[in-house]
Amino acid sequence: MLIKLMKYDMKSLSRAFIPMWILAPIVAMLFSFSIRGMIAWENNPWLPGFMNAGNGILLAVTAVVFIGVIVGLMVMTILFIIQRFWNGLLKEEGYLMFTLPVKTWELIVSKALVATLVTCISSVVAVFSCVVLGVFSSGEVIRTFAYMWRTFLEGVIEIDLSFWVHLILLVLLGITGAVKSIYHLYAAMSMGQLFEGHRVAGSCVSYIGISIAFSVIAGIIGIIVSYADPDFLYRGIYYNGKDLWGIFYLSYTLFMTMLQIVIFHVISERILATKLNLE
Amino acid sequence: MSGLLIQCQDVWKRYGRKEALCGLNLRLESGKIVGLLGPNGSGKTTLIKVLNGLLQPDGGTVLIEGEAPGVRTKSMVSYLPDKPYFAGWMRVSDLFDLFADFYMDFDRARAEQMCQALQIDTGLRMKTLSKGTKEKVQLILVMSRRARLYLLDEPIAGVDPAARDFILSTILNNYNPDGTVLISTHLISDVERVLDEVVFIQNGRVVRQDLVDDIREKEGKSVDELFREVFRTVPYGGGEWKC
Repeated sequence: MLIKLMKYDMKSLSRAFIPMWILAPIVAMLFSFSIRGMIAWENNPWLPGFMNAGNGILLAVTAVVFIGVIVGLMVMTILFIIQRFWNGLLKEEGYLMFTLPVKTWELIVSKALVATLVTCISSVVAVFSCVVLGVFSSGEVIRTFAYMWRTFLEGVIEIDLSFWVHLILLVLLGITGAVKSIYHLYAAMSMGQLFEGHRVAGSCVSYIGISIAFSVIAGIIGIIVSYADPDFLYRGIYYNGKDLWGIFYLSYTLFMTMLQIVIFHVISERILATKLNLE
Repeated sequence: MSGLLIQCQDVWKRYGRKEALCGLNLRLESGKIVGLLGPNGSGKTTLIKVLNGLLQPDGGTVLIEGEAPGVRTKSMVSYLPDKPYFAGWMRVSDLFDLFADFYMDFDRARAEQMCQALQIDTGLRMKTLSKGTKEKVQLILVMSRRARLYLLDEPIAGVDPAARDFILSTILNNYNPDGTVLISTHLISDVERVLDEVVFIQNGRVVRQDLVDDIREKEGKSVDELFREVFRTVPYGGGEWKC
């Protein structure tokens, strides 16, 4: 049932996002070409002046469009996360979704997985577009790619296992961080729908309230740890002569992030299962 | 086929301080068309939402075929809310896909035939359809299921008399005869002819439950007349309404 639910959430996103995901690298490429045009004019001062003006306008337009597309992609992603949960579960569509023969947690997890996928793809597309911009504007596309690939391979041979552990933990932290942010919004909206007649304001207040509550809890944990072991932050964690402090810290942060995801999920699921308040 | 389908015992539901259901008791059998009749704010919609699992009661017992509302009861309940519940981006055919995916009892061929008869293009997106066509699509989806229980919340409210006839004939021609249809409305005269049984609800309680034939034979009244008698309110300034 979860897969079937995701299928419909995927359908709703594909119409809006696929064009943007294709457009972003294309616009990046156009922007890079206009940068190259500008560089070419500066290297060839004998070219007529109107070409410089034309290049300048083109550069400005492509820059604005590129920034617009990247910012638009990020804004669209956040709006998509909020809108699919709010409209899909807490407004009229909720009458359809909550009468389907599925469990409440499946409705929430389906939305969360699709939102995470959208966030990850949009982030990758944004980074990829910036790479495209950098590589193509250099004017030596193939050589730049070859250099990047060679540097990467040389680096891989030189670096040790702990680098890969750090990298994997960082990637996991990035993904779980996105999931946590998504669930934070879900928990806030689930609480907000309880405020009859002030659902949006209730959601905003809940979001801020949750943030404050978790900051206070994190602060209390920090104080307790610093009292219990004042040198904790400065002392390394050694194993076979290697400092594993970084790995410990990333693992701890990963665990706390996952714990928050579980807490937010339980809050959202319990409220929607027992206190659903559709408009 | 008959047998106990719905069993509500001492059901309570509150919205803040307001009590929507106050110790409601109800038993309904299979194979009937039942009118859930009551004035506005009497608890009809709340009862329907409790039956289909959209709301959790604050107290009491609700059973559908012996089970509390949940995933299994949702698979045998076909619910028509009093407002459209579609995402605007979905095509009519997407909704058929969705119903076919989630409801084993959805008869897609029947739904497509009904759309064809009404000249509704299944390739159109919901946001492009008129309000009336959206309501028709919703009714087609709900009545194309071979459900054990149909919960229809105000299906004829706010539509013209011709549309009312269409809605009622669609319900009559397409419901599963082994199941029960529970129609909530306060437009009694329009639905009276299709009902087997009526449940009068007021202030969150069932105040009367009778077979329509018994009302006619024993009391010599139509359901509409009985409804006006039961829910009669004195007009502001006193006196009686002259119809």
